[in-house]
Amino acid sequence: MSAVTMNTNSTGPVSTTRSLLIKWVIALLVPVLVFNFVWQGDYLINNVILGFINPADALVDTGSLIQASIFILFFYLVVLAFAGYLVAADTGRRSMLEVWVDVLIFAVLPILLIVLVNDNLIIGLALCAILWPIYFYIRRRVPFFARSKALLSPKSVSLLSAEQKAAMVRRARLGGFAFGLSLAITWLVVDLVSYFAGALPTELLIVTAVRTVFLVVAGYFLGWVGGIVAVRLTLSANANSANGGDNSAQSGANGRRKRQLMMLASSRAREEAREVVPNDLPLRSAGARRFFLILLIAFVLFYPVLDPFLFGYGTAGRLAGYTDAGYYVILALGLNIVVGFAGLLDLGYVAFFAIGAYAWGIFGSTQFGRLTNIIIQPEVLSWLFWPMIIVTALIAALWGVILGAPTLRLRGDYLAIVTLGFGEIVPVVFLNLDKYTNGTNGIVGVRSPAFFGIQWTVINHVPYYYLILALIALVIFANVRLRDSRLGRAWIAIREDEIAAASSGVNLVRTKLFAFGTGAFFSGIAGAYFSAKLGNVSPDLFSFNDSVIYLAMVVIGGLGSIPGVIVGALAVYSINLFILNNLDSIASDPTSFLYGIDQFIIHYIPSFTFGNIRNLVFGIILVAIMIFRPEGLIPSARRKRELHQAPEEEAVELGSLDVTTTDPGFEAEVRIE
Amino acid sequence: MTLFVQLLIVGLSGGAIYALIALGYTMVYGIIELINFAHGDIFMIGTFITITILQAFNVTDDPTVNGTLIAAILVAFFASMILCAILGVVIERVAYRPLRNAPRLAPLISAIGVSLILEDIGKLWKGLSPISPPQIFGAGAVFYIGPISIQVVDIVVVVVSILLMVGLQWMVNSTRLGRAMRAVAQDREAAALMGVNVDFIISFTFLVGTGLAGAAGFIYLLKFPVTTFTIGFDLGLIAFTAAVLGGIGNLYGAMLGGLVIGLVQSLVNLIPDSNNPSSHGLGLPHGGGAWATAIIFAILILILVFRPSGLLGQQTPEKV
Repeated sequence: MSAVTMNTNSTGPVSTTRSLLIKWVIALLVPVLVFNFVWQGDYLINNVILGFINPADALVDTGSLIQASIFILFFYLVVLAFAGYLVAADTGRRSMLEVWVDVLIFAVLPILLIVLVNDNLIIGLALCAILWPIYFYIRRRVPFFARSKALLSPKSVSLLSAEQKAAMVRRARLGGFAFGLSLAITWLVVDLVSYFAGALPTELLIVTAVRTVFLVVAGYFLGWVGGIVAVRLTLSANANSANGGDNSAQSGANGRRKRQLMMLASSRAREEAREVVPNDLPLRSAGARRFFLILLIAFVLFYPVLDPFLFGYGTAGRLAGYTDAGYYVILALGLNIVVGFAGLLDLGYVAFFAIGAYAWGIFGSTQFGRLTNIIIQPEVLSWLFWPMIIVTALIAALWGVILGAPTLRLRGDYLAIVTLGFGEIVPVVFLNLDKYTNGTNGIVGVRSPAFFGIQWTVINHVPYYYLILALIALVIFANVRLRDSRLGRAWIAIREDEIAAASSGVNLVRTKLFAFGTGAFFSGIAGAYFSAKLGNVSPDLFSFNDSVIYLAMVVIGGLGSIPGVIVGALAVYSINLFILNNLDSIASDPTSFLYGIDQFIIHYIPSFTFGNIRNLVFGIILVAIMIFRPEGLIPSARRKRELHQAPEEEAVELGSLDVTTTDPGFEAEVRIE
Repeated sequence: MTLFVQLLIVGLSGGAIYALIALGYTMVYGIIELINFAHGDIFMIGTFITITILQAFNVTDDPTVNGTLIAAILVAFFASMILCAILGVVIERVAYRPLRNAPRLAPLISAIGVSLILEDIGKLWKGLSPISPPQIFGAGAVFYIGPISIQVVDIVVVVVSILLMVGLQWMVNSTRLGRAMRAVAQDREAAALMGVNVDFIISFTFLVGTGLAGAAGFIYLLKFPVTTFTIGFDLGLIAFTAAVLGGIGNLYGAMLGGLVIGLVQSLVNLIPDSNNPSSHGLGLPHGGGAWATAIIFAILILILVFRPSGLLGQQTPEKV
């Protein structure tokens, strides 16, 4: 292997390691401690522990306590491993201060803001969303930060030798250990102080002792795990040269590697370089994203039990909001297939949602028995929700194809108007065919699903929370698989250039029909969930305005980007139902700062409420996003490349990846995991 | 038969209003290939301006004809037209011009955004509930041709609309500006090379198109006694359908489409109610009127299936 170079920065002298340790231990410790002390993290842990020692004192039942403690344990284990990963994966070229400022802004600030607005998660995050762009703006202007951007270059990427990798793992172990130790000591001190102040029950001292030892030991081993994760993400030279860490077993046996087409374009090389470890910005690397994802998934899974600990009373109401937000996510993901992947503008997406909702609405209520004289026991009917959700989705998909078929010859704008027309026709049909749909009154008494021993009542939103979570997980999985499939690539091809795609052998008719069908399929799922949860369906729930909202979710999040669309859906939903409504309640409180502003506006515009200007806010956001960030909040890599051509000086020579392209074995030898 | 002719007349005057709005859609589409979703809402703002001015002049229902009334009508008509035109130009400058070279979807979404903004401005301005203007032509203003009663207002609507459309045709076909508009529509870069100020011409197109929407706002209120903030969307949608039906980008197409849709919307009332025993099960539940939107869009889809660029889209490739 000719092109392996030594990178002194990644396995530097002891002083570098020490500074890395200080950098990351503080960077992680501060948010964790802020979470524990400023917010009510300690409240959670102490309650969990106290609940086990003395169940009578606990605020909630034992089942919730066990789940909460599993989450807390898992959370700290992941953070320990993350500490190891970060220490290993950092090149150390970015200064401590910059990292700390980043952590303050992106981790500590949200926690503080959420506390500031009376533990309101959505409002707190919304404030962050306003403050973060300001931070980005300042960073671009202030020379101190501007320098850090230049650091992010593929030149820092190099192939590591086995020796360097072993050093990385060592450093990671050290990192995990140091973080565990600092955390343990800090807590020990705090616990002792509060013990002597009389605030800590004596029973908890045992817990404190166990925790102190446990954190240190766990830190060492989990740091090791983090190091292994980091090593797996390095650019490995394979074939003859040995690999460090756990890689050796994999690479030794297999001579020929899976090839990665990494050098598609200069901008692409730059993107990939950012993912490789070690890296100037390890918090943004692919490895860090995995840790974030794991934490996020754990948080979402345990959310219903964590909510009362974190935010106090009102869990049911919040969960109800989140379960509604869930079907918006599914709708946005479905629409993303049609608009984002295939580039077919669909302005009548609500039609398929309505079809899905009515399909389960009619079948899952007495309406079906009345129409067909087939009487199904209500209990059985509830169980039939599970097969019917697929049938419902298929019905919607069928309508998607039926609509798609005549529109295939149409150009973009004509297509938009035909879909729009379809979106207008469907509610009118449901309204007027009152023999089947009860017209304006809609269908009431739609059955909720049934599952072993679970109460699907109107006040208990937990089952719906997990149901929609499972549905979202399935839809995301399907979306990712579809995007990366042959069909998905065909969609993107026709989005980019229909004629070129057709000439390359993409069957336009089939591909477009599949796009319409798949998009409608997902909205059918959302529709079935919607009617089952709401318990009734009526035509006025489905209007063009909803189609526009769905489109706004996809566009704000980022066309064609799955994480973006999810964020977009949640953002739009929270603007819609949480933020504006909350602003109204805040403004009606005479002590709040908004009260004066509100009164001033009402003086001139009597009908003013924040809920009333929902569309105004949306409209401004839509226009602003289109003008300033047309790729959306979290753009897909491809669209980002399209919309922002990298400036000339940022383009990267392939040679800078420390590999010569002329080397014949180049592709087989280099891989990026 | 009497009913048919009367519906025909109502349809004609309704269609004339649609045509006026559709012209704005089609002009903008012709010149920058953008579906200006905000256009219907500009029309809505036009109706609000008209109402505000008529009320400021204290015009009452069925007023006596005097100098004040004529002044009020003229001021309302021109204020609505001019203010809407200015609004259109401002919107173009703020929301569309920065996106001139962006991907196709971007200006469209921006337009949807502007539409939402205008809708809420209308809501804040006049409130949620429908408002009624003073009715200049009372219900009594009717004359008869045989058994057919014709409202004076229908005649006025049709005549004013036709005058405006003829004026537009003249401007587009016979003036320097019109020629520049046609040139920009055909090939923006070539037009720029020939010395046409493309930005100005696009602004001017918006000016004319939205000015027509403002005029339509005034005319609409002559005929229909009520308006709300959602009317822009509702009518805009139908007018846009009219533009597409006729072949978007084609001026005659917009007029034809508007008339066709006006007539269809009026004539569907002839379809009987199938729930009514006297119809012997023929027709649609609740009668054709309830299905008007669905029928219009069904016709649109059918026409587009067989003529993918609308009724006149291919026959006259010239577009403005």
